[in-house]
Amino acid sequence: MAKVVKIALAGEGGQGVQSIAEILAEAANEEGKNALYIPNFGVEQRGGVSIAFVQISDGAIGAPKFVEADILIPLSPRAVKRTKMHAGKNTVYIYDNSLVQEAEVNDNIVGMQYFDVTPPCPTADEANADLQQDMIAGEPKTCSFTKPGPGVDPADIPTNVKKVIACPANDLAKNELHPRVFNIIILGAIIAATEVLPIDSIKKALETKLGDKFKADPKLRDMNFKALDRGYELIKSAM
Amino acid sequence: MAEVSLQGEQRVFMTGNEVVAWAAVAAKVDIMYGYPITPQNEIMHYWTRLAPKYGKRFLQTEDEISAGFTMLGGVMTGRKAFTATAGPGNVLMQESCVMAEMMRLPAVYVIQQRGGPSTATVIYAQQETTLTCFGGNGEGHRIVYSTATHQELFDYTIKAFNAAWTYRFPSFVLGDGYQAKMREPLTIYDAESKGVKLVPTEPMVGEFKPGKQFKHLRNTYNTEEELYEVVMANQRDWDAMAPKVVEWYEKDCQDADVVFVCHGVVSRAAMGALDELRAQGKKVGLFRPITVRPFPEKQLADAVKNAKKVLVAESAYGQLLKMVQVAICGGKAEIVPMLRPGIGITTEELVEEYNKL
Repeated sequence: MAKVVKIALAGEGGQGVQSIAEILAEAANEEGKNALYIPNFGVEQRGGVSIAFVQISDGAIGAPKFVEADILIPLSPRAVKRTKMHAGKNTVYIYDNSLVQEAEVNDNIVGMQYFDVTPPCPTADEANADLQQDMIAGEPKTCSFTKPGPGVDPADIPTNVKKVIACPANDLAKNELHPRVFNIIILGAIIAATEVLPIDSIKKALETKLGDKFKADPKLRDMNFKALDRGYELIKSAM
Repeated sequence: MAEVSLQGEQRVFMTGNEVVAWAAVAAKVDIMYGYPITPQNEIMHYWTRLAPKYGKRFLQTEDEISAGFTMLGGVMTGRKAFTATAGPGNVLMQESCVMAEMMRLPAVYVIQQRGGPSTATVIYAQQETTLTCFGGNGEGHRIVYSTATHQELFDYTIKAFNAAWTYRFPSFVLGDGYQAKMREPLTIYDAESKGVKLVPTEPMVGEFKPGKQFKHLRNTYNTEEELYEVVMANQRDWDAMAPKVVEWYEKDCQDADVVFVCHGVVSRAAMGALDELRAQGKKVGLFRPITVRPFPEKQLADAVKNAKKVLVAESAYGQLLKMVQVAICGGKAEIVPMLRPGIGITTEELVEEYNKL
């Protein structure tokens, strides 16, 4: 049986965990590999942790979810707590050691399905101020990130894993690039940790997904690709 | 990725709900009737996006009871029609399902199972297996395909329409929230150009011979004897049909000491476990009913005749188990249940369960 690479990503709703999982799986599919991506989804809206399961293989893929991840990437303090059961002795553990702020959900979106709300930007001072947003009664359909978080408690980081890598993706995005490309840094980090796909296949997938936006503003392409390379290099040097 | 179409064959990467909508287009469905419920909402979303491009229709009703019955109305007039639902919606639809059994209407239901009982979770379960096979006040005169991959979701959705219009029993595609929401590759195709014949439809209420204006499809009877004759005639038809539609998958059963029995998405975990355990030299096999109704009883009994143990794994508390018990009652294999209502079963958990035997 061909080896299946199992990747679990977790973060605050709106951190873009599901979008990078989707880009990753689509890139693998375009490379001619078998890929399976499944989000977790529920009825909760009040600041839930969002988990994405991705599997990539040259052969068949079994059950859509798994217990032990080969690569486990919790991107917020709460995600670190929520994903403990997916860490095992063969797991490469990549976590964000920036001070992530937790989501606070406004009352106007309580009860809405996650695909109906606009993903907020966790590190921007004003959530997605530059993004067009659907409004309900004058209020944006999004959560706000106003509460400063405590950061990851070192005691929550599992010790029985293959390797632990700290990646301050949030800080990097905020200070060096742009808050919006936080998740693309993570995508670069995943590629460096797994080498499951060539980095160019991710660039191709980004081009497919964001092609229209890139055309309208070529600076966006540079910024996304720079973020991808930055995440890749950061983890490559740590591996 | 190039624009998705049914021209020739195309490898695509999409969610199961999108797959169902494309399969309905490939089956040349005329109309979908529906009412939203997670996790099947996107079947409606994608269908409403595709329908205008292909000259198809959609009707959103006020609830699932109505979605089921309006579909029956469409079917009576000879339209190829379907609906999709889950969980509590599946419960509400049962009245239309038994009406379809009684009137022999080729209705097609796509069920994306969610947790139960009641509202429970919007996520995943296999707790609608009994309901989908035997719901309502009838004898379960239905065809139920339990799929495990997106390719099957596409193939069996097309097949469900053909089975319904051939045998005039309601047909079901039994998926689940995982299959609804996950993405994986599959090949979609135009059914007819691939040699899959689509069974033609015809109106069932009109009869235009001289002196007649309509045909009365009955679901009400005056005497016990009258009803008995009708139900028994349906039962005979169903019994005659069963061997023609029954489907199953088996692997490595004949020399196996332990045979996994699962259906739907859980059989993917079993496939993984089988590969892993066979690689270690363990004698394990897998039997998977594809039609959970009619259930491949003889085939299962034959597959496990040399086995010492049968490990039944399902995301419900004993719904598949009961079917297995009936099928292999009196056999020598010991049945070991692994019952996880409303929660997924992974390859690792199945291997762990095997190691406990």
